Amino acid sequence: MCTPNLISRKTFLKAGLALAAIPLLPHAPAYAAPADVSEIAPGVYVHQGRYEVQSPENRGDMSNASFVVGDEAVAVIDTSGSEVMGEELREAIRAVTNKPIKYVINTHMHPDHVFGNAAFKQDNPTYVGHYKLARALGTRAESYITASKEMMGEKAFAGSEIVLPTMGIKEPTTLDLGDRKLLLEPMPTAHTDNDLIITDLKTNTLFLGDLLFSQHIPTIDGSIKGWLAVLDELSKRKADRVVPGHGPASMEFPQALGPERRYLTTVEKDVRQDIAEGKTLSEATKTAGFSEKGKWKLFDQYHVRNVTAAFAELEWE
Amino acid sequence: MPHPMKIFVRSCGLAAIAAVMLVLAMPGAYAEEDMWPILKKQAFGDRPIKEDGMVVLEAPQKVEDAALVPLTVRVPPEVKGKLKSLTLFIDNNPDPKVATLTFGPAQGTGGERSFATRVRVDNFSHARAVLETEDGSLHMATKFLAAAGGCAAMQAKDPDADTADIGKTIVRVFPPALESNPIWSGQVMVKHPNENGMQLDINTAKFIPARYVKTVTVKRDGELVFKLDGTFSISTNPNFRFTFGKGKENNLNVVIVDTDGAVFKGQTQPKGS
Repeated sequence: MCTPNLISRKTFLKAGLALAAIPLLPHAPAYAAPADVSEIAPGVYVHQGRYEVQSPENRGDMSNASFVVGDEAVAVIDTSGSEVMGEELREAIRAVTNKPIKYVINTHMHPDHVFGNAAFKQDNPTYVGHYKLARALGTRAESYITASKEMMGEKAFAGSEIVLPTMGIKEPTTLDLGDRKLLLEPMPTAHTDNDLIITDLKTNTLFLGDLLFSQHIPTIDGSIKGWLAVLDELSKRKADRVVPGHGPASMEFPQALGPERRYLTTVEKDVRQDIAEGKTLSEATKTAGFSEKGKWKLFDQYHVRNVTAAFAELEWE
Repeated sequence: MPHPMKIFVRSCGLAAIAAVMLVLAMPGAYAEEDMWPILKKQAFGDRPIKEDGMVVLEAPQKVEDAALVPLTVRVPPEVKGKLKSLTLFIDNNPDPKVATLTFGPAQGTGGERSFATRVRVDNFSHARAVLETEDGSLHMATKFLAAAGGCAAMQAKDPDADTADIGKTIVRVFPPALESNPIWSGQVMVKHPNENGMQLDINTAKFIPARYVKTVTVKRDGELVFKLDGTFSISTNPNFRFTFGKGKENNLNVVIVDTDGAVFKGQTQPKGS
């Protein structure tokens, strides 16, 4: 089983370089190299995560992680799914600028967006999140750690930890990075009960976190009705581009919202009909929303769970 | 530059972990102690239990959300006569006994009888339904559930919304296509966190005290369908689908009591409303 062909040549080379570069950091991953990032607007960089579930191979690299560089400081928006990935993101920042990393912002609680937080502790940043993020992470910390460690393996997960926000956002708030302001807005319950959206006012770039999925099937961990309501609100806005939580690094707005809205509307409609017909939850999970199969990556992994969540919510109408 | 061999060793480590995880994911490899002999002894003493198809347990092939696993128990129409009780177990849950239903005179006979609810599953575990028939004999059905994290994980997706209307109860009756059918079906759902005392409150750094639905008493036109004694193995916002015997009015009346002694009541809407 343990043969050299298990590792691609690229991984091999990357690993060697990384080890040579930072061999002394306590959590230094065996293969930390700068994460691949693209500059989607001046001073706005995005690393695109894979459309996968956690695995030892992807090391939690399954969500988009971004950073914005101002005249005086850098803000990170989501840190990917492991300390290792956080380190790689940090390396990518350091390849672009030496300005201090002043803020680490999490768009919501999910492991693939927060476990890289630990890599930035050395920068002593302000950790920023929705005011309900701390509670959400606190109550889930144990299960997130257990599950992620199981999925990724000890090695890829090494050094990862839950770092709670030190600044909770309850009202729209701006952060100043030096001639560059970020607007942070807490949302009502939608994808989760702690979704925070960020606008880079300088380039009018909108960071929606997991309020926007593209290609990767949306996952409901808050409220389907709330999510659709938030999408209605958001679609009235103007932005020059949007960064989804999962999907391409940069997309056109508001067109990018279309497929996700169609998915959620379809699930809502089908589940409502099943409830009206007196069907049970398990019956609904076999049919509702299956017209969306084939239109999303990871449909088999998340769709039934979405229907379950939607059913448990909509049956109270 | 480290020696290339080192990297091979590291990567092989990953592959090995993946291999181990694969093995762990297989039901047969589940290493934990078999709890059932102990549970069985506690609940039923030395009484024999037959797995003879008189009760059927349905569970999803793949558990999608360990905090909300639908379980359905069916008693095939070939099984005649009154039922005494039904007990559901999740062997490896912190409280393995999910619920016991004691059936009353309005339980109904003359067709397929069923009971469905949603449970938390904390770990890879067997789920069991043990049915006690009129003659006092015990019959069992089992299903293996590959799920983890249902109890330690916080179930409430929107805790503020959930605690806002605790106790809200909805009771429904689903008349059969043929109204003369002797078996009807009903539903009870109650807004309740069903806290299991295993969830940490970050603000107080203390565990949220256990508070869950203890009993659910369902009556049809004043006669008992069943009384359920439940535990926190039942999911947040407890939900029950069940059959009952056709009566005159077919009005369902429900009384729910939780561990804090709070009483919640519900009934079907009067006809014509």
